Amino acid sequence: MSQINYRTINVDQLDPESSVNFPMETLLPATLPQPETSSDAANIANQVRQLLRGGDAEGALRTALDTAPLGGDDRAKEVHLATVIEVLQGIRQAEMARVLEGVCGADGGAERADCLMKYIYKGMSSSSGPGGAKSAKSVSPQSTGGFSQIQGRNLGEGGGGQQMSVLLNWHEKLVDLTGTGSIVRVMTDRRTV
Amino acid sequence: MSQSLRPYLQAVRASLTAALALSNFASQTSERHNVPEIEAASSPELLLNPLTVSRNDTERVLIEPSVNSVRISLKVKQADEIEHILVHKFTRFLTQRAESFFILRRKPIEGYDISFLVTNYHTEALLKHKLVDFILQFMEEVDKEISEMKLFLNARARFVAESFLTPFD
Repeated sequence: MSQINYRTINVDQLDPESSVNFPMETLLPATLPQPETSSDAANIANQVRQLLRGGDAEGALRTALDTAPLGGDDRAKEVHLATVIEVLQGIRQAEMARVLEGVCGADGGAERADCLMKYIYKGMSSSSGPGGAKSAKSVSPQSTGGFSQIQGRNLGEGGGGQQMSVLLNWHEKLVDLTGTGSIVRVMTDRRTV
Repeated sequence: MSQSLRPYLQAVRASLTAALALSNFASQTSERHNVPEIEAASSPELLLNPLTVSRNDTERVLIEPSVNSVRISLKVKQADEIEHILVHKFTRFLTQRAESFFILRRKPIEGYDISFLVTNYHTEALLKHKLVDFILQFMEEVDKEISEMKLFLNARARFVAESFLTPFD
């Protein structure tokens, strides 16, 4: 016992009434959907993929957003994120505005718009994880490669640039439609996707 | 402005405008204190979900909002080692003079090159849209600045090498 340095103990953490131990689950609404597993998410992914292959991009996006695993585990959320990004990448730029009008204009469209915004931000943050390590390596391809002037500056289309530009285009279109309100709801909503 | 830069800056602008809605909030843990909650992290309920806007793997912005402060971290494009060094020197120059920039954080957070910390006192004293403009202008300028410095550096290195090697001609 004499080994412990009592000055380094954060006593607030031991107090159940302290603000550090705020019960975060009280911020979640009672109407949270049933917890999902990754196999459920994979089933939905198959349905969505079929819709997308059938040419019904709007239906595919709507299904994907309506079945978001708000109460699921991390694995289910990962699988569903991949599904949503696949749908977003599968829709051509000329059709974006029309699809968004259809998905966010109908009944319950505001919730779907918020959900889509959550996925856009999550898509932009998630693929930076493994990419960060990769770009750190690519800073020095070989010992003297850094001093070569031949390649010049690569103008921003590094790894993951394609997916990001799709997401950024969707973000712009969605902000045009919903304003900054949906971004505020992404920040404050504790039901993460 | 290049084709993919515009939607990136637009997304950052919209996200910052949404995130910079701050209110005065006194510390819950110690009386008569008022600290930026994003740094103190004294309660999980005061921290909001962080937003990331990224253009590719090497350029991204992390916005971490909380009830009375927002931390904005930038990762500047670094294509090779020279740019890595230049960005490091440049951000170091700025952060050492952080007190004259008001919102600059003295140390960038892990994985980013430069961080800003905006508290409710800043949004009360300064205009919010000007703050957003400042950060966006910074993002544009820093890219330009780095490529300019790289060109200067290369030109100077070539001149030095030439004049050094003339006696052996």
